[in-house]
Amino acid sequence: MGTTDLSRLSRRDFLKNGFVFGAGAAGLAAGYAAVPDVFARAVYGGKRDGVMNDRVLVMIQLAGGADGLQTVIPLQDPKLRALRPQLSQAAGTALPLDQNFGLNRSMRGIKTLWDQGKVAIVHGVGYPQPNYSHFDSIRIWETGDPMRRQQDGWLGKTIVANYDSQGHPLVGCACGSSEVPGALRDLDATLSVVNGQNTFKFNGTDAERAMGVIYNGTPGIYGALFDTSVFSARDTMARLRMAREKYTPRAAYNDNVNLVYSSRNQLASALQLAAQLIISGVGAKILHVTLGGFDTHDQQMARVDSLMGYVDGAISAFHTDLAAYGMADRVLIATWSEFGRRAAETANGGTDHGAAAPMFLIGDGVKGGFYGEAPSLSALDRGGSLKYTVDFRQVYQEILESHLKVDAQEVLGKPFERIAAIRSA
Amino acid sequence: MGVAAASASPSAPAVITNTTSINIGNLQSWWLDWMTKSPTPFAERMTLFWHGHFTSDYRKVGTNSPAIYWQNLTWRRMALGDLKSMLLRVTPDLAMLRYLDLAASTGRAPNENYARELLELFTMGVGNYTEDDVKAAAKALAGWRLPMRTEPTAQTGIFDTRRAYAAPVTFLGKTGTFNTEGVIDTILAQDATASFIVRDLVTSFVTPSPSDAYVARLADRFRRSRYDTKQLMRDIFTSPEFVAPETFRSLIKSPTDFMVSAAKALGATNLSGTIRQYGSTLGQNMFDPPSVAGWGDGASWISSNTILQRANFVTAALGTMRTTPSAARAHERHLDSVLAQGTVNELNLARDDRSRWFAVFASPEFQLK
Repeated sequence: MGTTDLSRLSRRDFLKNGFVFGAGAAGLAAGYAAVPDVFARAVYGGKRDGVMNDRVLVMIQLAGGADGLQTVIPLQDPKLRALRPQLSQAAGTALPLDQNFGLNRSMRGIKTLWDQGKVAIVHGVGYPQPNYSHFDSIRIWETGDPMRRQQDGWLGKTIVANYDSQGHPLVGCACGSSEVPGALRDLDATLSVVNGQNTFKFNGTDAERAMGVIYNGTPGIYGALFDTSVFSARDTMARLRMAREKYTPRAAYNDNVNLVYSSRNQLASALQLAAQLIISGVGAKILHVTLGGFDTHDQQMARVDSLMGYVDGAISAFHTDLAAYGMADRVLIATWSEFGRRAAETANGGTDHGAAAPMFLIGDGVKGGFYGEAPSLSALDRGGSLKYTVDFRQVYQEILESHLKVDAQEVLGKPFERIAAIRSA
Repeated sequence: MGVAAASASPSAPAVITNTTSINIGNLQSWWLDWMTKSPTPFAERMTLFWHGHFTSDYRKVGTNSPAIYWQNLTWRRMALGDLKSMLLRVTPDLAMLRYLDLAASTGRAPNENYARELLELFTMGVGNYTEDDVKAAAKALAGWRLPMRTEPTAQTGIFDTRRAYAAPVTFLGKTGTFNTEGVIDTILAQDATASFIVRDLVTSFVTPSPSDAYVARLADRFRRSRYDTKQLMRDIFTSPEFVAPETFRSLIKSPTDFMVSAAKALGATNLSGTIRQYGSTLGQNMFDPPSVAGWGDGASWISSNTILQRANFVTAALGTMRTTPSAARAHERHLDSVLAQGTVNELNLARDDRSRWFAVFASPEFQLK
């Protein structure tokens, strides 16, 4: 290693030179060097020269198409009852935010944060010519491109453009998942995927050493993917060990919730892992978690109530935890979903795929309140969906420029009108 | 390769009525166990393919009926069937009726869920139909309902004309009154359908990036065979592309492919519990796809988390065995003797059979097919 300037090393340099972490207890194989301290200095060195600030973004994906009208509920519009004879009953139990809108009754924690001015609700977020396919619309939101010409995720691009020179995989991490979400995907981005913090380790006494030997210059079209994944796994293990030592939760995270259909993802655990990565200072910048189950073609009343209650509890615990460590001002939580749902309900108390829906931005750095214009229930598009009033890339731009303080145009390709929901500080 | 109908069937749990509850863990173990033991493994591979294509998940379908189990039996029975029969079968399938809400759709209040995915994910692919086609198909398909308590022996949905949509619709350019078969026939008359199915199969069996000409060639014969998937699979396996150097190890094994092939290489017959446990960790839990598009493929199977857990599966699998078979020739039998330097290095360092098997199964070569 000699006098190499570590703050300039990229992931590829690390791979090429075979610097590998985590050999610790198992002993070092010839040719490998354990360098976590030096590596950590490289990352913090990067912070000093202004490449990194202390801002962190946590994106929460509500997969399946989360309904807006049962989440941020119009309280005065008589149209709601006509469109949704059953589901409009949610207005009666809503938690009022102002005279026109109320939050779903199970979102008491977020209501408290709203009262503290820490929640921005952006109305009517969508994009031109809405796509009603889950997969197309997910891809549009993930790539930030309604024309579907882009392959890379907007968060992956952000990492490559701003953080990847630091070459450490926890800069971008999918928490509570086993695969890389499309928003983080970029062939040049170094990423981690951590399903569970306690299971993220090699079992067996010799496995980590053996994997280091095997995955070294793997040829073929997947070679770099394989080598980087193994490298990232080993680096992440070392960092998670560090993170465990420096963190004890200061809030109650709970995944024991009653949902109409059981959940594949553990949202509270995923956010607790996110809190651990942020609070322990291992260098996390962009974290992504997913909760599925929002494709409410049936039984929507009970499904959305219980799902939003789950989201509310998990976000509340996460915010409480961050605040207890004095870090709630530098973490922005943002929710997204591929689309909202059709304005009218179906016979079985559900809704079909729709278009525009609200987005939540939550954090101590947020200027609380409503942004954008709520779509009219009297002027639906010809398919019966709410017309968007805010392009989702306007929100992305605000997240990138005002929160992360990076160049949004480099990621989004062009400038968008600002949604001024982040306090300048 | 055996005819689908003649494929061996696993000994089936005795299920009599459509209200018999099932245990999903037992069902998963039962299938995974059969995958490692079946004398007709290709039937299981195709069953898994159709499970991902015409997918349903137990969370929404529920376990208070054998519907998701019956759906599995259907795909094994029809593993190499013709597409029209499969579509006619899947539309009123009890699990599918629940999973994509067709049972809740009526002519007066159509639910678009099944109609949309039938077009987008099961037959034509997005971009080949309009939103109006989705709405028209939703109307035309309405009328199916689940069996009632008084119909405990019904194994499929029941069509109730009073729930159907009586008026004509315009669907894929044709105006008229469609029944379910009419909708399916109209879909099968579209050029997009054969190409879509072919592309799905080819990207699962041959290459992640088939040329348009290859897809078109197979699709043309598929169409002319009246959508005979048995002939299509034969065409795929006898095509020069299937054995071309460019397609060698161009696909990443799904977690199930990976684990079942390791179990078979070891001759291990008691690994279904370990395979089931690692299925969700690696991202492929049977009867529990991440979305209505089934499982992803290709590079999405590999992340820092899954590569680590694939290694852990190997450790766990080897740990269940008192003795392992000799690994002396494992790299020839299971890696075609085509090895990257890293794998060679570790095999040379390995001091015993267990370490050699670990190197073989954890190698990048073994993750590929």
